[in-house]
Amino acid sequence: MHEPILRNLLQQELITPEDAEKIALFESEKPFSLHWELKTLLYLGVILLNLGLGFLIYENIDTIGHAVIIVLIGAVSVACFWYAVRHRKPFSLGEIKSPTPYYDYILLLGCLTFLIMEGYWQFQYEIFGTRYGLATFIPMVLFFALAYWLDNRGVLSLGITAMATWLGITVTPQDLLSQNDFNSAAIVHAGVFLGVFLTVIPFLSEHWGVKKHFSLTYLNFGVNILMISTLAGMMALRQTVLYFLLLCLGVGFFLWYARTRNSLYFLTMAVLYGYIGLTYMLIVHTESLNFGFKFYLFYFVLSCAGVILFLTNYKRFIKNDQP
Amino acid sequence: MIAYNTDWLDALLTKDTARKWHEKGLLSDEKWHIIQERHVSNFYSPNVFIRIGLAIFTLILLLAAGGLVAIVLEPNSDLGLSIFSLFCGAICIVVLEFKVIQPGRHFGSGIDDMLLYVAVWAILLGICNPLHYSTPALVYFSIAWPFLVVGTLRYLDRLMAVAAFICSMGVVLLLVAEIPHLAIYLLPLAGMLSSLGFYIFSKQGQDRFAWRHWHGILLVVELLSLATFYASGNFYVVQQVGVEWFQVEQAPLAWFFWAFTFVVPLVYIFQGVRQKDRHLLDVGLACVAVAVFSFRYYYHVMPLTWAAVIAGAVLFLTAYFSIRYLHRNEGSYSYEADSETSLLQEIEQQLIEQTIVNQPGPRPEKRESFGGGQFGGGGAGGEF
Repeated sequence: MHEPILRNLLQQELITPEDAEKIALFESEKPFSLHWELKTLLYLGVILLNLGLGFLIYENIDTIGHAVIIVLIGAVSVACFWYAVRHRKPFSLGEIKSPTPYYDYILLLGCLTFLIMEGYWQFQYEIFGTRYGLATFIPMVLFFALAYWLDNRGVLSLGITAMATWLGITVTPQDLLSQNDFNSAAIVHAGVFLGVFLTVIPFLSEHWGVKKHFSLTYLNFGVNILMISTLAGMMALRQTVLYFLLLCLGVGFFLWYARTRNSLYFLTMAVLYGYIGLTYMLIVHTESLNFGFKFYLFYFVLSCAGVILFLTNYKRFIKNDQP
Repeated sequence: MIAYNTDWLDALLTKDTARKWHEKGLLSDEKWHIIQERHVSNFYSPNVFIRIGLAIFTLILLLAAGGLVAIVLEPNSDLGLSIFSLFCGAICIVVLEFKVIQPGRHFGSGIDDMLLYVAVWAILLGICNPLHYSTPALVYFSIAWPFLVVGTLRYLDRLMAVAAFICSMGVVLLLVAEIPHLAIYLLPLAGMLSSLGFYIFSKQGQDRFAWRHWHGILLVVELLSLATFYASGNFYVVQQVGVEWFQVEQAPLAWFFWAFTFVVPLVYIFQGVRQKDRHLLDVGLACVAVAVFSFRYYYHVMPLTWAAVIAGAVLFLTAYFSIRYLHRNEGSYSYEADSETSLLQEIEQQLIEQTIVNQPGPRPEKRESFGGGQFGGGGAGGEF
């Protein structure tokens, strides 16, 4: 397909014959990249290995000696960490490029096997007893430390997930946890707190110049946890006004972020969550007025038209003078 | 024939091709700028996130508007419902053609995509609604086929192309299934032959410069035809179809289909690597997984957990050593990321990059303001 285009550009005298020759040579000799195929195989390999090992323990918990299993999994985990530490690049507060192509995957494998090993310990020997908070606190600290030390956003995501779990378990009273009651106000409060916390971190990091490239990972978790928690507060806790105000603040903040940082992802997310919240408010608070079906259809048509108008003109909303 | 401005489509194609050369350092900045200035496309093609947002809100808007029209018109018979559906579909097409695409300059903005899907869906609903419930599936497929094909060709829509392809295969297979006595033998053959036909058609079509605007569509057809070719001879598929449609427990020619199940993926991979054909290679790799699952469905040689552990280790080590080999032996194959991403890779990239590994850091949106201040390009850039 490139040949006619090349001829065309040559005819329009936009490129010189030397350029064309160079390009034609490049096109005929460029190497065939197996990057994506091999990367996918690596990724699948890590996932399968973990699933397999996890289930292996689950099934053989009574037959093979516990020590054998722990040693086996621990060995995998240690080997992965050893590899990651040995091949690491010098520490820096900025971004560090992966030393080898499979580095990220090996580190990821190490972290996941560590989780399996820890879970096994807890299941078999109950080393943490009923202090489940401690069981999630240890991987959280480990993952955060590794993420910052070895500069890996995948491990950072695992760390944030562990943090969310830890916080969720810590704030929930024991008896509620055992009754599987997750609708409690404590969870929602913790969610709002965590969302705000994760959203603030990137600004502090950027201020201090520590791992600025982690911002997007934090904000991605932050926006979703914050918005879902406030929506949960509106819907499950029935405290519509308070949480709607919080939601509005969140939406406003992320719209501001999108506007100043040219971030279309956060623009779309803020608009989507904001629309859900607004629609829910409208429906709940007009319930007693018996407006009828037509009113809501009109609302959807007009509000969607408004949102579409806003989104199609995003260029005017996003500040253009940012680099 | 194409609803969009073809001059702008050409300009997009030229710019996309030249961009790759510029990125590889084959074109100077100056020449790249002149090429951009001389090939202006004024499409409105926003970033992928905006596109998703617009598509969602367009869908809600259309459904609510349809509801309002329904309240006014009150269609209460089968015929009335059909006419109402057709009317809604027609309105969508009119809005799409004379509002969104022509003066609105939309191209892949989420709004035009969603209008097309809703329009085709409404029209098909309108036509099929009065049909009796015992109408055979073949009739539905035959009715849908022309609309899907026209929608694909006129609006260059890949998702529509997937639907059109599935519909075409459905028509062929359902026709063959009607043949008495021989259907069970002819079905795999018909599937293979029609897939082969589609494959050759798309391969030859991709080389035709006159068909350049349908290049993306033909790629979709190529990938799908490779997949359906394999599915036609896969033992699991053949056996299950035999049970479901013909109540035959033991598929005929079992040895042939077992051989097909394992040989074809290897042929795909081998040919893909040899001819440097990415689609063959990728579909081949996926087919290996399908072959393994097919085998496991009938023969439980080892417990699933051990199979997963071993398969995971084998995959990991294969990839590990291949990457090491490629790093040490520079040649016509490499592990360097290619700027040219195929359709499958785009999907995969979204899946892997967005979940765990290597999430791209925040980077300032590349501003490409030239011409009328609009920036063209596929729209699906890496802007967050």
